[in-house]
Amino acid sequence: MSTREDRREFLASLLAGGCAACLLSGACGIDPALAQDAASGASLIPPTDSDLPLTPARWWKPLDGGRVECGLCPKKCRVADMERGMCGVRENRGGKYWTLVHSRPCTIHIDPIEKKPFYHVLPGTGSLSLAAPGCNIECRFCQNWQIAQVRPEQVRTFELRPGQVVALARKHRTPTIACTYTEPVVWSEYVQDIGAAAKKAGVRTLLVSNGFINEEPLRDLLPVLGAVKIDLKSFRDRFYRDVCHGELRPVLDTLRRLKKHGTWTEIVVLVIPTLNDSREEFRDLAKFVVNELGPETPVHFTRFHPSFRLRNLPRTPVRTLEIAHDIARKEGLWFPYVGNVPGHPYNSTYCPGCGAMVIQRTGMAVLENRLKNGRCPRCGHEIPGIWS
Amino acid sequence: MAIDRERRRVLGKLLAGTLAGWLARVPLLAGPRAGGRKGAPARPAAGLPDVVVARRKALQAKGGAPGAEAVREALGAAIARATGAKDPVAGLASLLRPGDVVGVKLNCLAGRGLSPRPELVRALVDWLLEAGVAPRRVILFDRSTRELRRAGIVPGAFPAGVRVVGIDNDYDWTPREWGPSGSCFARVLVREVSALVNVGVVKDHDLAGVSLGLKNWYGVIHNPNKMHDDGCSPYVAHLAAYPLIREKLRLTILDGIVAQAHGGPARSPRWTWPWGGVIVSATDPVAVDATGLRVIEERRRELGLPSLAEEKRAPRWLPEAARLGLGRDDPARIRLVEA
Repeated sequence: MSTREDRREFLASLLAGGCAACLLSGACGIDPALAQDAASGASLIPPTDSDLPLTPARWWKPLDGGRVECGLCPKKCRVADMERGMCGVRENRGGKYWTLVHSRPCTIHIDPIEKKPFYHVLPGTGSLSLAAPGCNIECRFCQNWQIAQVRPEQVRTFELRPGQVVALARKHRTPTIACTYTEPVVWSEYVQDIGAAAKKAGVRTLLVSNGFINEEPLRDLLPVLGAVKIDLKSFRDRFYRDVCHGELRPVLDTLRRLKKHGTWTEIVVLVIPTLNDSREEFRDLAKFVVNELGPETPVHFTRFHPSFRLRNLPRTPVRTLEIAHDIARKEGLWFPYVGNVPGHPYNSTYCPGCGAMVIQRTGMAVLENRLKNGRCPRCGHEIPGIWS
Repeated sequence: MAIDRERRRVLGKLLAGTLAGWLARVPLLAGPRAGGRKGAPARPAAGLPDVVVARRKALQAKGGAPGAEAVREALGAAIARATGAKDPVAGLASLLRPGDVVGVKLNCLAGRGLSPRPELVRALVDWLLEAGVAPRRVILFDRSTRELRRAGIVPGAFPAGVRVVGIDNDYDWTPREWGPSGSCFARVLVREVSALVNVGVVKDHDLAGVSLGLKNWYGVIHNPNKMHDDGCSPYVAHLAAYPLIREKLRLTILDGIVAQAHGGPARSPRWTWPWGGVIVSATDPVAVDATGLRVIEERRRELGLPSLAEEKRAPRWLPEAARLGLGRDDPARIRLVEA
């Protein structure tokens, strides 16, 4: 009996590992079919810095001596001539600031929207998902570091104008375009232009972000965004500083601004053993979400896998994720989830009114969507989200 | 049962063989190897100065555009003095081991006029070849082919066989932890060179305070933009202390024939001046930078500019480098000689 259980556990871990590998590999590169589409009228750009395109950056101001101050994120990089900000994708040339990644994605796929993850936005649909290189923080556990923690000349990019992105989404009938995989904040100009073009075409633009963005650029982006997912790396500033080269406060400010604006927002917390997995932290985080964002905000507690510079820690025990889920629910959250654990019951959505399962999922797949006009079919409780 | 016993016997032998092979690699049990540990730094003779400064009026001529002979003379004198040798060829030979592949890391970000000048690099290359290094074992490298080209470092400017390598995108894509950070390092550094000569320039740096020798190592990692906050401290120090660099470094040269006291790291002609010298060390990469820092601070005083400390740009990574044991940052303790 025990041998049989061992075998099951072994096979399950293999399967989970295989899924994880697929997910990780899926974040880098270009879907062959899409690449072919994208290549019509555009060609692959060789990865040399001399070929990087220059598009005027937004959200910056000139300083004395030819320097500039970037206003995009809380880093507020002061950048001398010929230098770049921390993101590595915005450069000062002769006292003017430029983005090097506008219309230059390095990755494009059609993913299940649940992969972002959005569980309350058009479940079961595909999302045209793309990324340009770069990030404004540096998480030691970055899952997509090959495209996020590099400069644009270090990855292969190709030209894809905002109108072409929207055309691809329409051609492949995806109701959303997700700016994802890397940190879209650092390519906000591209996001804004995609969003504007997509809105005209009736396609929603989704932002999958760390939330490390200043108020002004966020305010400019919000009108073109359909929904936002924020990676809340931890509820401790120390974690942000030591592990991510970032800060907690600006991320919380972003979450409050999203709430105030009424933008549909989901939160992901990647739970890492020993670093951000204490019960106190789960409790503090849940209280913040309930009190300041509302109990209807979905929070996904997802499983960590060793990656990039954080390879000395094991995968998160499933039990830890369950504890996080239970604490969040006890604190009043309606929709806590367990992620990166395919087949777990907490992948599914349950009605906060009567407890009935309203959307059954396993991992990224929707097995059954029982919602009736956004309401629980049993008790009629409204389930918040974007359902059509 | 017989099959099981046989299987155990074979597995046992395999295990024993593996263990023996592994133990043989452990230094405590293995015999000494000829030639010492591969990659260990050559030890310069005791009693050498920490830093040598060679300034010449001839180098200040024509606004810092002297002839190649003047450059060669000053650099040669400095290398000879820094290595305690009769001439630069013997000096370089004393720093190298037979078979070394010598990587010369340049700093060409600012383009011609504030990068190591081609005639200085040419003199260094000529002496390396005279010292017995085969041309194909000399690699001039920096972070991009474009920047090398803009600084005039092109294959045609050097003897046949000498390689000019822009790192561009050629990194060893395995993240390595160093100090407080982590990076992928240039493959040429990881896989090819066994000895390093660091050739920087004497210039101001907006964030790091100065960009001299130690800061030049930012050019061998894939993510230097992540290390610019907090005045690049302590990153500069810890990167220079990383074994891939520290254990291979043999010589540091700063081209200060034209230096820049403000407005770096790009070239800003308003702030450049013909200092007219080179700063060299075979023993102490921290002392070289401390000396270059003094040169810049003196010039800033002459110009009536606030000090780097007053501008809150003092290179705090310099004392950190000293703390890590890379060398001396206290000018009072640096044995500086002129050549």
